[in-house]
Amino acid sequence: MQTSLSWLSTHLDLSSYTVPQLSDLLTFAGVEVEGIEEKGVTTDKVVVAQIQSFVQHPDADKLSVCQVDDGSGTPRQIVCGAKNFKAGDKVPLALPGAVLTGGFTIREGKLRGVDSLGMMCSGKELGLGEDHSGLLIMSPDSPVGTPFNQLNPADVLFDLEITPNRPDLLSHLGLARELAALTGLPLKSERDHAKTATKPKRAAEDQIAIQAAEACPLYTARLIKGVKVGPSPDWLRRRLESIGLRPINSIVDITNFVLMEMGQPLHAFDLDKLNGGIGVRMAAEGEKFLALDGQTYALQTDDLVIADSQRPVAIAGVMGGEETGVTDTTVNVLLESAYFAPSGIRRTSRRLGLSSDSSYRFERGIDPQQVSGASELATKLILSIAGGTAEDVILAAGEAPTLVGEVTLDEDRARKLLGTPDMQGDEIHAILEKLGLTKKSASKQESRWLIPSYRLDLQRPVDLIEEVARVIGLDRVPSRQTAVASPVEAADRAYDFAMNLRQSLASRGFFEAQTLRLISTAQLADNPNTAEPVAVKNPLSEDHTTLRPSIVPGLIATAALNIRQGLHRLRFFELGRVFLQLPKGGSREEERLAILLSGPVSPSSWHAREPQAADIHELVGQIQNLTRTPFEVRPAKENTANFLLTSELRAGNRVLGWIAQLHPARARDIDARHPVYVAELLLSALRQGSTGPTKFEELPRFPGMTRDVAMEVPADLPHAKVATFFASQKHPLFVGAEVFDVFTDPTGTKMAKDRKSIAWTLTYRASDKTLETAEVDAAHTSILSALEKTLPAVVRR
Amino acid sequence: MLSQLDSLKTEALAAIEAAQDESALEAVRVNFLGKKGSVTALSQGMKDVPVDQKKEVGAKLNDVRTAVTDGIESKKLALQAAKDAKAVEGIDVTLPGRPGAGVGALHPLTQIRDLAIRTLRRMGFALAEGPEIETEWHCFDALNTPADHPARNEKDTFYLPDGRLLRTHTSSVQIRTMEAAKSLPVRIIAPGAAYRRDEIDATHLSVFNQLEGLYVANDVSLGDLKGTLEYFFREIFGANTAVRFRPHFFPFTEPSFEIDVKLEAKGKDARWIEIAGCGMVDPAVFTAINKARGDTLFDPDTTTGFAFGLGLDRLAMIMHGITDIRHLIDNDVRFLQQFAA
Repeated sequence: MQTSLSWLSTHLDLSSYTVPQLSDLLTFAGVEVEGIEEKGVTTDKVVVAQIQSFVQHPDADKLSVCQVDDGSGTPRQIVCGAKNFKAGDKVPLALPGAVLTGGFTIREGKLRGVDSLGMMCSGKELGLGEDHSGLLIMSPDSPVGTPFNQLNPADVLFDLEITPNRPDLLSHLGLARELAALTGLPLKSERDHAKTATKPKRAAEDQIAIQAAEACPLYTARLIKGVKVGPSPDWLRRRLESIGLRPINSIVDITNFVLMEMGQPLHAFDLDKLNGGIGVRMAAEGEKFLALDGQTYALQTDDLVIADSQRPVAIAGVMGGEETGVTDTTVNVLLESAYFAPSGIRRTSRRLGLSSDSSYRFERGIDPQQVSGASELATKLILSIAGGTAEDVILAAGEAPTLVGEVTLDEDRARKLLGTPDMQGDEIHAILEKLGLTKKSASKQESRWLIPSYRLDLQRPVDLIEEVARVIGLDRVPSRQTAVASPVEAADRAYDFAMNLRQSLASRGFFEAQTLRLISTAQLADNPNTAEPVAVKNPLSEDHTTLRPSIVPGLIATAALNIRQGLHRLRFFELGRVFLQLPKGGSREEERLAILLSGPVSPSSWHAREPQAADIHELVGQIQNLTRTPFEVRPAKENTANFLLTSELRAGNRVLGWIAQLHPARARDIDARHPVYVAELLLSALRQGSTGPTKFEELPRFPGMTRDVAMEVPADLPHAKVATFFASQKHPLFVGAEVFDVFTDPTGTKMAKDRKSIAWTLTYRASDKTLETAEVDAAHTSILSALEKTLPAVVRR
Repeated sequence: MLSQLDSLKTEALAAIEAAQDESALEAVRVNFLGKKGSVTALSQGMKDVPVDQKKEVGAKLNDVRTAVTDGIESKKLALQAAKDAKAVEGIDVTLPGRPGAGVGALHPLTQIRDLAIRTLRRMGFALAEGPEIETEWHCFDALNTPADHPARNEKDTFYLPDGRLLRTHTSSVQIRTMEAAKSLPVRIIAPGAAYRRDEIDATHLSVFNQLEGLYVANDVSLGDLKGTLEYFFREIFGANTAVRFRPHFFPFTEPSFEIDVKLEAKGKDARWIEIAGCGMVDPAVFTAINKARGDTLFDPDTTTGFAFGLGLDRLAMIMHGITDIRHLIDNDVRFLQQFAA
């Protein structure tokens, strides 16, 4: 909310506080100061001067050389570029040394060779509005030599963020009340308008009929006849302009002034344009309404309207109608002041996308007790500014609702919650009293408080504790540090496991990416796995319509971005959540690790300008190095459109994840220079294999012996088949086998094209002795003969 | 014979000196000390030496043999040393090292999150988590948010067709944790993603990262909240960092505060930067939890607690002076590699 210091100062004398002090005061009362703007002239070195004479500048057509009286007794020469003045005009003159808006300092100097000892100013140059068309011509009775800011006091504008629990601060009076409580300064009580209101008189049915008492518990109207509408006086225009409101006409300006003064929205109708009495009712379905902003709105049955006998004349609390508003020709006025229930106003304002200063306050809640007072203040102002006569009474329908009552405070509980065991009851009482609460009773333990009608937020004991905390501030509360021995949770284990994976990958040259969890529908094709994604009902853009069912699409986008920057060695991973639609409704969220790699196995350097590009075996190797769980790679029967070589990684029955090659067509799309490989792993499955402490295995005490075997097999016999064979061998001396060569000859000269030669090293060892050659030979022979029986293999002997 | 021995010694030492490599030196050894070598031949002549000279000649012969043997041995070492020196000749150690697999990096968000987690774990906070697709009850109702609160609007919050929503804050994990708690105290932190229907620009993401904290027991005070968060921010930003608490409003805490830390930007005066929100858990939250649990573990008359939440993206930006939040989701390697360990 835009708040004027000079306006606030009409309610209490803040002259003993500097602007930063006021800013701190508000900040630590919970009112965030989002901006401070000094308006007008703060320096004394801008004075009223009178232009005595002027002549054309000898060397410049557009400049005049003026002799001015600055009140010092000595004429002063000023060169000026404006044209809008005549001899005898009074204007603001910035003397040398004056600092104007934007930090611009005035100095004595020469303009085209002629001395100029200051500057005569436009409104804009003084920071007073946007007028830059010429000098600011002041009224003829302005005393020459007087500092400009004595005649036009400077103002400070605070841009305040009022939290939704404090609607009572959405006015200058409300803020002044708060500042009075915080500083102890007295409020100028005659300005507390709520207390001086005329007692309302019950309106007759044909005058005001409320048909929606829940949405509008209280409606008042005051008739003022014979007004003369015109522009507002300077003081009123200045007040409104100071907080960024545009003056319209005296009546409308007065309602806006009262709104910003007291926080009570008012509406003035042109009485002669109303047909019959006022009705407060819900709109008919589809009812049309032409509002002040020139727009026609289609209303619904849950929109509250003010209507005459024929049509709606206002959307209650939100905006008045174009046809019944006050104009320059208005003679008779009906002044509305009412209490509308917040939820209805909020609903209507939101649905129509129509927010006003009025709806903003009603939907947060106004003080029901100020309704008559505000009407009274506006009436007084109208009578004094626009003339006319007011009817003696305010017509009212309904009752002001009681929104606050009494609250009991357990003071011990307050001390405990605040962590201030030494705080005395007297201090608590003093704080609440200066905030306007009235003590109804007090015992050693408890006190009972009557809440002022404007403090809608004070309903429960804890609300009073908050007030105490707010006023004493956290500086008064001693810091306490407690450590609690917390048992490790599943989430802790999962986090540590994930961090280890991250660190492991980063130390092997991978960059961790963090991509958005919302992806486009088009990106779903970049998932190597088929999954039903979860779509958002109200996406903000086509790029973010769906919760990702896989991290891979994000990594492919990451690859594309980096390729555009000229990078072709790509090593990325991301660890995070994916979202899967369940067939019977609902969804599942799971943590995954995705890896993308493409390009040379190591960065190019002077050792190797272009190292060999990675293949899918490098990806498999990287995964093997990540987990202690042995797994097999099982080629999938099908690939999704953007992938080849899709394979499942399995440890027994457990699926650890998938690997795949990005289809070359898709890789070309993103201008990849090398094949792109991706993997996605399920963290929970990976973690299953690595729980519990490692069990130590005794080191072999005797040396092992190795035997190599080369064999020819059909080219399409997967390695996994041979590995499975060796893994299943139970010979007591046999320890294990490893492949060390795979040879194929696509030309068919050294070996048939449909054959391949593979070579393995087999290791033998006994735990209790050094093996004899003959023992090893015998074991080896038996395993080889089993091999030839089990697999379509011809051992080379 | 004695003079023969003298000249043999001179000859042998000269030959040793002249040997250029190991094989030349071996030839010298064979020449003098081998089975048919000159020294060997002379020692075989000992039998012909008159008895009275045997002692003198024998001593001389030994002297020659020792001198030759030692000479060969030390020459051998000298040759090896020269060879070793030659092996590293011309190596330019100033060349760049081999890159190996290259240097990777953890994302700066991961790093800052881990720093935050490690710091809070030292105070005995355990980790907690909850779903990102949430019910309106967990995200709003249980957190004392009025039914017509603007945050629930479809303009601000992503919804799914089935009525659930994408959580707008990690505070829903407070609710999940208290619903499932077996006993007090509850002392958790929950890092996680949250969603708001914001256009992505230099300071906003539609998906962002938060860290939530909650401590509920029977005697938790505002002093605990203050002490914990002062400690936390001083651990993160330095022991002398000024931390201040400004009263604020959140539906699910009362009293509520925003936290500012005073930080210096490069070449600028230190200024207060808003970094987190916090407060004492509102009793209405405990009431909602009890209703859902069907018991009174969180008795609003005796149980108290504090909660806090901070934006990790913002923390990373402040910490590293990152000017555009989109860097955090672009994953440009030129950005990421600046954060290599």
